[in-house]
Amino acid sequence: MKKNTGFRIFLFILVFLILFWSIAPPIWIVISSISTRAELYSKPPHWIPHNPTLQAYVNVLVKGEGFRGGGGVSAARLFRKGILNSIIISVTTTILVMSFAPLLGYAFSRLRFKGHEFFFYLIIAIIALPGWPVLIGLFSEFSTLGLLDTKIGLILLSFTFRLPFETWFMKGYFEAIPYEVEDAARIDGCTYVQALFKVSLQMVMPGLIAVSIISFLSTWNMFAAPLVLTYTLKSKPLTVTMTEFIGQYFVNWDLMSAATVIAIIPPVAIVIFFQKYIIRGLSAGAIK
Amino acid sequence: MKKSLSSWLDNKEHLAFTIIIPTVLLLIAFAYYPAIQSLRFSFLKYNIKRLSHVRFYGLKNYLHVLQDPVFLSSVLRVTYFMIVATTTVLLIALGIALVLNQKFPGRSVLRAMIIIPWAIPPVVNGQLWKWIFNGDYGALNGLLFQLGIIHQYQFWLKQPFIALNFAIFIFVWRYTPFISILFLGVLQSIPEQLYEAAMVDGAGVLMRFYHVTLASLRRIGGIAVILTLIASFSVFDGIYALTGFDEATKTPMIYNYEVTFDMGRFGKGSAMAYLVGIFLMALTFVYIRMSFRKDAR
Repeated sequence: MKKNTGFRIFLFILVFLILFWSIAPPIWIVISSISTRAELYSKPPHWIPHNPTLQAYVNVLVKGEGFRGGGGVSAARLFRKGILNSIIISVTTTILVMSFAPLLGYAFSRLRFKGHEFFFYLIIAIIALPGWPVLIGLFSEFSTLGLLDTKIGLILLSFTFRLPFETWFMKGYFEAIPYEVEDAARIDGCTYVQALFKVSLQMVMPGLIAVSIISFLSTWNMFAAPLVLTYTLKSKPLTVTMTEFIGQYFVNWDLMSAATVIAIIPPVAIVIFFQKYIIRGLSAGAIK
Repeated sequence: MKKSLSSWLDNKEHLAFTIIIPTVLLLIAFAYYPAIQSLRFSFLKYNIKRLSHVRFYGLKNYLHVLQDPVFLSSVLRVTYFMIVATTTVLLIALGIALVLNQKFPGRSVLRAMIIIPWAIPPVVNGQLWKWIFNGDYGALNGLLFQLGIIHQYQFWLKQPFIALNFAIFIFVWRYTPFISILFLGVLQSIPEQLYEAAMVDGAGVLMRFYHVTLASLRRIGGIAVILTLIASFSVFDGIYALTGFDEATKTPMIYNYEVTFDMGRFGKGSAMAYLVGIFLMALTFVYIRMSFRKDAR
């Protein structure tokens, strides 16, 4: 189809608008984070900082300046502990999901057994379980079990609620590969377990990568659950410690913007780097 | 010994149950059991700050929630939120998907850029926009001022109706990429022959758009509507960061948190969680059913 110049200009304008819509806000927060306090609080704003500085990053990561509303905890301690907790919780959850979801997906797509349907729906129904009823009960259960304000509690929670989605996705990925491959492995004398690890797992690898990335992102982004279930720096993830830069009456916007930039780097980098897998994973997830 | 274990496992039922039983126990312990606990709380007069006064309360918590004017207005508010958010997300996502479906230099770069909003943690998204909307130094004020649209800086988030619409806006901004990607996936799978066939039949640009493009998006469109309704109803993080417990943006999700964990009223909070949860569960079942349907895309 021949497209005329008018169409090309129209398309170009739309592309520019979409680009602006998507990245202008994050870019503004990057600009804010390298502005001096004086420039940050200037009217009208300096769109391009005259004297760029990394002071806010130093404060948030290294120097540990105290701040109003921080309750005596320095910004750097608040932030560093938050990052560390987030990494531990997200990585552990992801590893657990990576180990269990393929096994479950395999069991439900390949193995015939009593109660197949029942168990599948028992697991899948968790997806429909709304957040607050579970969290209210979990709060009291965790306080009985001593899991309140622990990283293990958060890991158990995020693992429990990721697993049904990922089982569902993995089942779909397994169903998309032909049975014959495994049958051939069986004839060669492999057990089911060996056939799974040697043959089938290789073939669903793109799906497994997608599932793992989505698990990592959603655990990293988790907020309401840790807000309820944690109350000290021992276990608060970054999303929760960050909100403490925003007091009721006073906000440290310079600390806030540097913290925001660091907090969005891991998920944004992952999304851009693994774009193909994520796109495939999201589409496969929504339309099975 | 090892030999006998691996041969015991080499049986479809043994293997399946070895995988499934531990998982099911875990899910019962940390999903079903707590859900049943809070169902029990919903029939108790139970304030976590007054533990000696716990007693059976029948259906009174449910009645109190349904007669609570704050709850009722939060339901109206979230209804507005869902309608505006879902319409806007779908329209913008369709636009973005149609543009990305064209061939132009830098298309794959743009495709990576548009997912960025979706990657940002929702609570961080709320804080980012709170800074942009800031009444003293915000970029929005700066921009509108320099363009001459406003003559003095505005405290946007202090104006109830604007605050609510801005809360919707930041949800739309974060959620649209996800729906765009779903739409784009379907658009790219439409065979070129369909368009050619339509052209042979004498269909113009608009007719081709209507009968081929939009028709192919029908099923995914339905799924997208349900997903966006669920997501917009469930927004918590973004609003919490943007406006906290402000009346103007108090949706049932926010109010439920406030009643339960801020006021400590576990009984009333559980009843509210179940009233709201039943609605959400119904939507989610529709979604699961729709996406299980195997027939034509």
